[in-house]
Amino acid sequence: MKRLPIVFSILLIASMVLAACSTAAPTKAPAAEVPTTAPAAEVPTAPPAAQGKTVLNVWSFTNEIQTMAIAFEKSHPDVDVVYTMIPMTNGEYQTKLMATLGTKAVPDVVALEAAFVKSYVESDFLADLSAMMPIAEELKVYPFVYEVGTSDGVTKAYAYQATPGALFYRRSLAKEYFGTDDPVKMQEILGDMDKYIAAAEVVKAKSGGNTYMVASNGDFMNLFYANREQPWVVDDTLTVDPMVDKMVETVKIFRDNGYEAKATQWQEGWFAGMNDTLKDAAGNPKQIFSYFLPTWGLPYVLAPNATSSDGASTTVGDWAVITGPLPYQWGGTWLGVMKDTAQMDLAKEFVRFCTLDEENLTNWATGVYTNEYLKAIDPAVPNDQYQAAGDFVGSQVVVEKITAGFDDSELSKFLGGQNSYGGFAAAAPTVNARLMQGSDDAIQRALNDPLNSYLEGTVTLAQMWALWKDAVRNEFPDLIIP
Amino acid sequence: MASKVRKNYYGYFFVAPFIIGFLIFGLYPVYNTIALSFTDTTLMKAHGSFIGLRNFERLFADSTFLTAIKNTWALWLMNFIPQIGIALLLSVWFTSTRLKIKGGGFWRMFFYLPNLMMPSAIAALFFSLFSFYGPVNQFLVRADLLPQAIDFIRSPSVMRGLVVFIQWWMWFGQTTILLMAGMTSISVAVYEAATIDGASMWQMFKYITLPLIKPVMIYVLVTSLVGGMQMFDIPFLLTDGRGSPANSILTNNILMYMKFRSSQGHIGAASSVGVVVFIMTTFVALLIFYLLREKPVEKYKEIKQ
Repeated sequence: MKRLPIVFSILLIASMVLAACSTAAPTKAPAAEVPTTAPAAEVPTAPPAAQGKTVLNVWSFTNEIQTMAIAFEKSHPDVDVVYTMIPMTNGEYQTKLMATLGTKAVPDVVALEAAFVKSYVESDFLADLSAMMPIAEELKVYPFVYEVGTSDGVTKAYAYQATPGALFYRRSLAKEYFGTDDPVKMQEILGDMDKYIAAAEVVKAKSGGNTYMVASNGDFMNLFYANREQPWVVDDTLTVDPMVDKMVETVKIFRDNGYEAKATQWQEGWFAGMNDTLKDAAGNPKQIFSYFLPTWGLPYVLAPNATSSDGASTTVGDWAVITGPLPYQWGGTWLGVMKDTAQMDLAKEFVRFCTLDEENLTNWATGVYTNEYLKAIDPAVPNDQYQAAGDFVGSQVVVEKITAGFDDSELSKFLGGQNSYGGFAAAAPTVNARLMQGSDDAIQRALNDPLNSYLEGTVTLAQMWALWKDAVRNEFPDLIIP
Repeated sequence: MASKVRKNYYGYFFVAPFIIGFLIFGLYPVYNTIALSFTDTTLMKAHGSFIGLRNFERLFADSTFLTAIKNTWALWLMNFIPQIGIALLLSVWFTSTRLKIKGGGFWRMFFYLPNLMMPSAIAALFFSLFSFYGPVNQFLVRADLLPQAIDFIRSPSVMRGLVVFIQWWMWFGQTTILLMAGMTSISVAVYEAATIDGASMWQMFKYITLPLIKPVMIYVLVTSLVGGMQMFDIPFLLTDGRGSPANSILTNNILMYMKFRSSQGHIGAASSVGVVVFIMTTFVALLIFYLLREKPVEKYKEIKQ
């Protein structure tokens, strides 16, 4: 009987602990709500592991790699890949991953996006995967793909994709304004930035202002950033490359002359332009002549949005792709192994399978991973898990073998018969990523808001740079900012 | 005698769950935050070193931080003043024995509804409504109220106004419920007596309602202050999570979160923001308690006169 209160209080404590775990609500003490504690407390939901199999924990920010994980289970029947997807829309993935570093919750294999892959490659948290370099050389992996995953001569991450950028334009509009829709001739017309600006004026004049050259100023960012000659940080000092000034100049020209539709990248108006349903506030139809998108932009962004949601308006078949005014690269997903993993060999094998396995890369790019294929391995696979053909892979050996096969593919029909794979294959070797640094993403994001204020005319150019420096200083306390 | 002593322990058993829970989830994070704020700890390196007040020096030298403090105060005051005004008016109406408004329960629920919606859904809704190609622009231009579309999302005053409106809209129902609870606990006999003495509605409000709901008012004021100083979700989700346009809706907690999620995860620097907000909130809360403390003797004199 006398034990009863103790049992009681233990039960109460237990219930409180559970309650605290299940709710994300902050504690009542005001300053205690530093978010450091919050992300660690929530355990991401992952499917339960199957019994009797070796478990491999993989974290990613899209469901793409899950397709490969299922294919991996086919060749490794004794392995259960537990796949956890955390979105990165507002940086949730990065935050969650950072919060688990050094704890037991750390996954075995992590997917790393271009925006933050460098900060991990430069850190001590990833295992050394240099031993796989001979395979990469054999498959002729494009240099920038493994250069991004390399720091101080040690390679820690590989990618299955190569992501050179391109310019997509509307064939019907090109015919109307330039008299041709031929990619070779259009590349001559739009071959450098001055030509592109001149062409924007032609488009505006001939359309009476109803066709914009680009949808948003965000389209230009990666283009110019990829063509800098100095990285953002040189000797711990914030550095502005002349190319960045050129970018500011260019977007200002596009805004002031009405060449740009003032849409926001990844928002409604930007997507509406892809299926020709963009209307200004008065209801007048507006068109977008071109979009700057990388390889993955074609199957994942442009093609899915080329038909309006009611099916009434479509631009399928009306697109063509060229290198555009400047070669660049944009995005990409790298895979690395956490140093603290208990499954080192298996994790390395998973990375090798996903990024450096000729058969897997071929299957991935040519649409072998259909729903039927995946469901035969794991019947619980969701219906949208299939991988359509067309993702541009990082191995030149694979690319050369499969390029001809895309002549009659769905994506070639989308591009009015043009084989985009061949175009990307030509652009990929010219890309370099030696300027990429861990701090790039934050520094570039910090410029967006001041830049938009400058374009709106609410701040001067000098004020814009000052605002940007304040924002950078706020995130990088140790950086020297001139 | 021994049994008497034992009986006294029961109390400790019953408060133990709270004390233990508070120590783990309340006090320890506060202690840890303060400890971290004196270090340069980041998430990407395991151990930080003690750097004294360096984080705080940097913070106060940084104009962004001062902007965040100013914004947080402005956004809170601009939504709290109308919020308490409307809530007082509504709760007087709904508790009034003279007006006898029907369906009080329904209205109370109706006012509270916005609070049940997900902040992310509300933010996404308002973002789409006010975007450059969104319905608000379409309506205003087609109705000839505007010559051409305005980029509302890029306008600091519009976005500030939106944050204030959303915060007000989400929280006035909550405040109304609290004030109504305070008002219904006042004995009807007091009002009846006042009515017989010929008191007007305003006089009853000023001399009966307001003084008697003072404890509830203090509670509302302090909780709203604490919540307001930590305003995060709506301004964070409404634009790019960086307080744009032009830092107009950058609040203390957004700044703290930005430091926390920077590419290195500067939790030391982020903690220093938390500590400053904690000190500021505590100071103002104590000031509220002091200013609204009970002064029974003086009041008695006033009424006698």
